[in-house]
Amino acid sequence: MNLETILLLGAIIVPALGSILFFSGFPKSGETLKKLGYLVFGFPCFAAIFLFFRFDSANGYCFEFLYDRMGLQELGITFHLGLNGVSSPLFALAGIVCFCAGLTAVHSGAERLRLYLALLSMMVSGLMGIFACVDLFFYYLFHEFALIPTFIMIGIWGGRDRRSIALEITIYLTLGALISLGGLVALNVLVDAPKFDFPHLSEAIARSPLLESSSSKIFGLLLFGFGILVALFPFHTWAARGYDSAPTSVSMLHAGVLKKFGLYGLIQIAVPLLPSAAECWSPWIMWLALGNIVFVGMVALAQTSFKSMISYGSVMHMGYCFLGVAACSALGAGSAVMLMCAHGLSIALMFLVASFVRKRTNTFEMSEMGGLAERTPLLACFGIAATLATIGLPGFGNFWGEFGIFLSLGESSEHLIFLVIAASGIVLSAIFGLRAVAQIFFGKESEELSEHIQKYPVEDLSPKEILPASFLLGALLFIGLWPISISQRIDEDINQKYNPMFSDSSLAKPSCCPEDTDSSLPVDPSPVE
Amino acid sequence: MISLALSMLFLPLLSALVTLLFLRKNGNLASLLSVCTSAGILILALSLIFGFEEDVQAWDTTWFAMGGWELRFGFLIDAPARLLLFIVAFVGFLIHLFSLGYMAHDSARPRYFGGLSIFMFSMLGITLADNLIMIFVFWELVGFSSYLLIAHYFKTDEASKASRKAFIVNRVGDFGFLIGIVLTYWSFGTVNLIELADLSDFSPSLVTTSLCLALACGFIGKSAQFPLHVWLPDAMAGPTPVSALIHAATMVAAGIYLLLRIDFLFTDQALGLIAFLGAAMGLYAGFCALVQKDIKKILAYSTLSQLGYMAAAFGLGAPGVALFHLTTHAFFKALMFLGSGSVIHACHHEQNIFKYGGLRNRMPITALTFLVGVLAISGVNFLSGYFSKDAILLWAYNFNMPIFIILYAGAILTAVYMFRLYFITFEGQPRSESATNATENSFLMTGPLLTLAVLSIVGGYFALYPQRLGAYLGPDLAVVSSLPHHMWMVVLGTSAWIIGLLFARSFYWKVDQVDPLTRRYPGFYEICQSKLYFDEIYRFYVDKIQDPAARFLEIMELLFISGLMVRGSAGVTALFSMLAKACYVGRIHAYIIWFMVGTLGFLFYSAVLLD
Repeated sequence: MNLETILLLGAIIVPALGSILFFSGFPKSGETLKKLGYLVFGFPCFAAIFLFFRFDSANGYCFEFLYDRMGLQELGITFHLGLNGVSSPLFALAGIVCFCAGLTAVHSGAERLRLYLALLSMMVSGLMGIFACVDLFFYYLFHEFALIPTFIMIGIWGGRDRRSIALEITIYLTLGALISLGGLVALNVLVDAPKFDFPHLSEAIARSPLLESSSSKIFGLLLFGFGILVALFPFHTWAARGYDSAPTSVSMLHAGVLKKFGLYGLIQIAVPLLPSAAECWSPWIMWLALGNIVFVGMVALAQTSFKSMISYGSVMHMGYCFLGVAACSALGAGSAVMLMCAHGLSIALMFLVASFVRKRTNTFEMSEMGGLAERTPLLACFGIAATLATIGLPGFGNFWGEFGIFLSLGESSEHLIFLVIAASGIVLSAIFGLRAVAQIFFGKESEELSEHIQKYPVEDLSPKEILPASFLLGALLFIGLWPISISQRIDEDINQKYNPMFSDSSLAKPSCCPEDTDSSLPVDPSPVE
Repeated sequence: MISLALSMLFLPLLSALVTLLFLRKNGNLASLLSVCTSAGILILALSLIFGFEEDVQAWDTTWFAMGGWELRFGFLIDAPARLLLFIVAFVGFLIHLFSLGYMAHDSARPRYFGGLSIFMFSMLGITLADNLIMIFVFWELVGFSSYLLIAHYFKTDEASKASRKAFIVNRVGDFGFLIGIVLTYWSFGTVNLIELADLSDFSPSLVTTSLCLALACGFIGKSAQFPLHVWLPDAMAGPTPVSALIHAATMVAAGIYLLLRIDFLFTDQALGLIAFLGAAMGLYAGFCALVQKDIKKILAYSTLSQLGYMAAAFGLGAPGVALFHLTTHAFFKALMFLGSGSVIHACHHEQNIFKYGGLRNRMPITALTFLVGVLAISGVNFLSGYFSKDAILLWAYNFNMPIFIILYAGAILTAVYMFRLYFITFEGQPRSESATNATENSFLMTGPLLTLAVLSIVGGYFALYPQRLGAYLGPDLAVVSSLPHHMWMVVLGTSAWIIGLLFARSFYWKVDQVDPLTRRYPGFYEICQSKLYFDEIYRFYVDKIQDPAARFLEIMELLFISGLMVRGSAGVTALFSMLAKACYVGRIHAYIIWFMVGTLGFLFYSAVLLD
């Protein structure tokens, strides 16, 4: 085992061990607790960034680790870790966001801090595992590992209505996970592969193709299962309520990283394994994704609370990722991965900024703020940068993802209408993003804020707050200014998977599922742009 | 050469970064750094313009690649790029100098000068970029720096709203531009300007009207043409040097520059449309400028109108003439904006011209240089504006009579509102305390004024242009000089500004605090003041259509998606559980009955159905 593999394994095991330590109540004093927190959240980040720069492989997986004596090998299940071109940037994303969320949690001063950190590090361990897994069983298992603490943390440390929201989000997401599990199990059963991972599955499918009808059904299960987890319209209502109520670190981790699980599954597994089914379902995905962009975007416009606006905004931008997946091309899928990375960083930064603002104004209502740029220029700087990143300003990573997705939509003239409607989203998100900036940071102080400030003087960001925020912002700028650094590895991997499937003209429009293509398309719910 | 271009491009970005990281609290050092940076840009730009022969330069690096599409980072430093590079670097440097004086007492200087540096970075990027996507990247970044600088006085509602409006309206234009780029890529297979030019020569059938109109949306947004012109007058909420640099001399002219870069993609219909829209803008903005009270708004509308002239020139097939007017306009409009800045600074940020008066005696240099600008823009013979504007008029006279008539009316109007501005501000008696006490500004501010005044006088003599700068203008201007009706045009052009001057003299020589037009022609004044209700229409759209629609959809989501769908399915589950629970009542009688029902059911099933 070389150093890289140890680090990859460690990025999962260290937070898991940390979680056990926290649960067992080992660090008694506050200071040791904090130091252990730095270690537990810092190590995965270090490992992820180190591995990001060490990654060098055009073919298959790097830093592989295999343990196959689990007693499950008859089902094809082995504990198999490794990074490929798509998962390596997402693994780095997970590391960075986990570190920033962890730091925020350590300094949050939450009640029952030890339990909070225990659950959070369990979640971190799961998140790192998702993107490091080659084996699909463990990929799913790590997702559950990360998801369950979310529910508990919302239930305990959430905001208003936390109990009912925790219940709703638990049922909703468990349902989504269950449906996608159904799809994965069906894959395992129907495809006769020696191992339950992508390379073996695709080899087996190439040898003996699935029936069109069954592959279409499996894809449907995976699409809607993963779709619920990614908040595909109209299954998105859990997201806004959940993030609204969740504590900051949880919102950051869930919106930033965990939500990418479903898209990652679609891009890495579902579409390349079942390309013809993906093309059948593609119009469905596109219309629903437009629902995300236009409908949810309009709803975001109507929000008066900063945090709900961010939540709806994050759901809206998932629509672009779905469009990239639905374009069924290397360009679309690769750009979707780009956008996932950048979006994870930017949305985590947005939630972080929201918590900073909340700390100073004691509210999320934007009408009760105003003029903060005067008193807290640094906070305003981060706030404006984060907003501009989410609305896709060049220079930040999000732009490249969105641009590539738009470009991929232009490839076929049938998709032009999707291109035009989707591109109108760049205006929509600018409207609500800049409206929020103007209400929070510009203009004059509202009366409520002046009263609050008289009692509790406002200070600009402290070094403890600057560190995670500038870390996220720096990563966003890195991707934005030097996109080739991550696009190259994504491109190499995606091209291998997608080009044989989709650039082939012999793969004409499949004849399956005719009822899916145009007869019963859901009408786009909102004609307003 | 490539390293020279790269260091010129990234120098201002570096300066902005240093300001952000280390000089946030140190205004003096930040402004010094920024001015030195702009001086450095000027030196590098000059050596780039005069030191090298070849046009095309590619930095052999892929910037972004995905799924077979590759974006390279490259520069195209050809004749139009060299001219614009000169304007940006030179005017930019003068405005940095002027800002030293103008912003001397501002507490947020680091933010201001950092913003200016980011602007220089993005504008240089647009100038040098060799493909449409790079242009788009820097296009959005100039929009961002404009946003940042308009919002400089963010505590005022005006600046807060204007910055947002500028960004969003530009985004609407960029929406079309983006779609245009995507369409271009898929129909030509490239977005590189040189390859596009070759391809469109080779197979003209690829050039379509819808494609070039989509690309022209970018121009309409950035150059504030119909119907997206509403942001520019509001953008005057920013500091005055910013208005001079971004909203008069360079950024808004970038729209015209974009058109020049892709002129081979335009079809005749699209050109006709652009010419007509440009000419209409030339006239419309003139009427708006006629009734403004705010000195900067007058200049803003005048910018709109001059941009209309450039668009008309481009639409009539004379891109060289358009760029010529862009150049002279950059000089005299920057001059007038800086002049207005000098006045505003001297009068303690009073911007209403009816509160000025008699400033000629108190601020002689500002008044004289401002007069030069007024004469130049009005087309007074042998100043820069005379040559460039009359070239456009002559071209229109020979090729498109209706457009000539509109443009000619606009020219008369330009002289009227410009002399109005000059008379009310600098002649007569002071009409407020601040005007009475105004004094001339320091050399830091008058120096740039004098320099620009000289350029506004001589900028029209094409023979003075070095070959490296004027190469793009040459062919079109040669056509102009060979056109018929030259003498006739001189008479018409001269009479235009004389009519305007006499009209303004009779109306505005002696004014009090009220516009004389309100008394004599109140109806006409009202119509001009309304600006054809564009702002009101957009306001109506936002307040009465967009926001209610957003709230409506929010309620729909609450009712149908989270209500009916999510809660509904939870409710159905709960209903079943209630029904099931109803069977478990805890009484032995009930269980016996259920047992009997079950037994009967089983017997019935086995007897009837299985038999």
